[in-house]
Amino acid sequence: MTYKIGWLFPDVLYLHGERGNILALEKAAKAAGIDTEIIKISLEDPSFNPMDFDFLFCPPGEISTFPVIIEYLKPYTDALKTYIDSGHPLLVTGTSICFWGKTITREDGSVIKGLNILNVSAEEKNDVYGDDLYYETTYNHTKMNIFGNQIQMHDLKINDETPFGKVIYGYGNTGHSRNEGVVKNNAIFTHALGPVLVLNPWLTESLIKIMAANKNTPLDHFKLNTDLEAQSLESKLAFIKKKDTTLKTYFELED
Amino acid sequence: MKFEFALWYAKLINTAITIIDKERGSNLSGEKAMHLDPQMVEHFKGIDYSKVIFITGTNGKSSTTNLVTHLLRKSGKKVISNLEGANLLPGIATILSKEASLNGTLNADYYIFETDERYLPLIYKQLPAENILITNLQKDQVQRNGDPDFIYRKISSFANNKIYYYLNNDEPRSKSFEQFSDKVIYYGVDQNEKTFTKDATYPTEACPKCHHALTFKNYNIDGVGDYKCKHCGFSNKAVINYELHDIDYTNKTFSIKNTVFNMPYALPYMQYNYAAAIALCNHFAGIELPALKTAFDDFTNIGGRFEILKYKNKTIKYMRIKQENPDTLQSTLDIIASDPESKMVCLGLYPLMDFVPFYTNSFYAFDCNFKALTESNVERYFCFSTQVAYDTANRLIYEGVEQDKITTIETSDVKKIFSEIEKAQTKNIYIVTWLDTFDKMEKYLKEVE
Repeated sequence: MTYKIGWLFPDVLYLHGERGNILALEKAAKAAGIDTEIIKISLEDPSFNPMDFDFLFCPPGEISTFPVIIEYLKPYTDALKTYIDSGHPLLVTGTSICFWGKTITREDGSVIKGLNILNVSAEEKNDVYGDDLYYETTYNHTKMNIFGNQIQMHDLKINDETPFGKVIYGYGNTGHSRNEGVVKNNAIFTHALGPVLVLNPWLTESLIKIMAANKNTPLDHFKLNTDLEAQSLESKLAFIKKKDTTLKTYFELED
Repeated sequence: MKFEFALWYAKLINTAITIIDKERGSNLSGEKAMHLDPQMVEHFKGIDYSKVIFITGTNGKSSTTNLVTHLLRKSGKKVISNLEGANLLPGIATILSKEASLNGTLNADYYIFETDERYLPLIYKQLPAENILITNLQKDQVQRNGDPDFIYRKISSFANNKIYYYLNNDEPRSKSFEQFSDKVIYYGVDQNEKTFTKDATYPTEACPKCHHALTFKNYNIDGVGDYKCKHCGFSNKAVINYELHDIDYTNKTFSIKNTVFNMPYALPYMQYNYAAAIALCNHFAGIELPALKTAFDDFTNIGGRFEILKYKNKTIKYMRIKQENPDTLQSTLDIIASDPESKMVCLGLYPLMDFVPFYTNSFYAFDCNFKALTESNVERYFCFSTQVAYDTANRLIYEGVEQDKITTIETSDVKKIFSEIEKAQTKNIYIVTWLDTFDKMEKYLKEVE
């Protein structure tokens, strides 16, 4: 069996080593005995059908590139909604969350109209906030904690959407609440960018299980070896618990 | 009088620093004096802005500034330059206060300033240079710069037709500044034995003009090479003003406009610094190529990225990287990979600790291609550092390295690092890490000797 993994516009949305997420998916699928076919989706492709894929990955990019991406995806808005509504997994990271929403207000006041798939709006910040991001979430009925890095170029107002995680440490959507990202069925929109699936193989494992379930070949007992990543996480947690920060932290709630 | 007080205050501090420690103070006097006159740089007298050049960009600005200053001085020109490396406004105020007379008058043939790309608009506001050289604009320091477009917008915010641009033809964002001025000189490097390609899993980047994907036929260094946008046609020019040809890494020579130069450093990324420096000195300062060729021969780069340490029977080759900067890491990996001898590779990527909040970013390693390294006769890998040592090891595992070939220790203790190096059978040791660890290693060796 081969899973088709669609990688949205990798040569335009090319920031922060996100290629690692594709490698992590390939590796996890291989461990589950599943072949993968990685398909790069390009702005030059004459057409795009989301339902052709078992998983879609949308990495972060520069906001200046979003108008051309929105223009390309606009005709496929309903197809993307169907993809999400039918429980297909999607991972959108960093700034790219913005163009799935209603509007992006740029630093100069100009407004970009998004795909309107999420009821969220984004406001570009006039500075950058870079930090670790650590949050708890439940995904595919599994409670897990996610560690990543956040390079925040915007604030995200999520209105009535469901946040993907509850921030334990980090900026999250606005720096002023515990909300992090958005989740819609199995579609994840998170500010934890970079190779987040490398750092959090427990999330990768869940994604593979969802893909398998969608193909009616459940992998209930599939388990990745996560020793190295767990050691990494332990070390980083010790680091963020004692580091200087201007943010409110919620470790006491976790404990 | 505000300016004069600021200037004299700066001079006083400069004198005091010279007495206490000549190594310090590339920034301090300017910083203090600018409290008295925030517009201090604007108030110096006698500067011809057509003789001022800003050298800016992500990588290569220090080396290019060093080389240009060296070449001009060897040609008998009086040059004021911030060679000590402070590349923000206070750094420029410091060097100008050192060089100015008591009433703030300056007298030089050329003013050559390395300038931080993020703060260039603030510097330009006070010192409107009529010449700007852009080395490249790439992913770097994402915690403060976010993405390359953030910097692009900063530098383009004051772009105008009065400025002469010296642009890297082989780097798309640098080259695209041609849209802002009629006065453009292009420099670049021809394909050579170190030119490489990357497999399709490595992303390229967005076209700076239309934001569709760029296609790279090949690279001379990461992100720099022969590119084209299939959507709008934006590409590197086939014929440019200054292009290095016949690059021979064995004999350490290259040619430009039929003049053969010796390379002071046979490294791929230095070729762009050579091309940029020759373009500036020839076009901007009117120095003939034969004179430049002679001046090249005794150039020594200040604060280069490579050092050698001797420890017991080992030769430790230290290679400095800029954190959060995949291009410098890639260059380093490529250099190590080009050594066919058996080797130990020590990777000490660290969390980012430039300013609060410190954070554990090592994701830029996934932008780099480790394949050539893993195929280059590596006896053992050693991943060290705090917090991100395991992630570094994991990056190697993702490239196909067997886990038992990697030693991972979460430490920044140099004794433990040396102890691990001692265990290697090979004498040929490479260490890639930040300057802080190297300084501690150097200090430790001096102590034990």
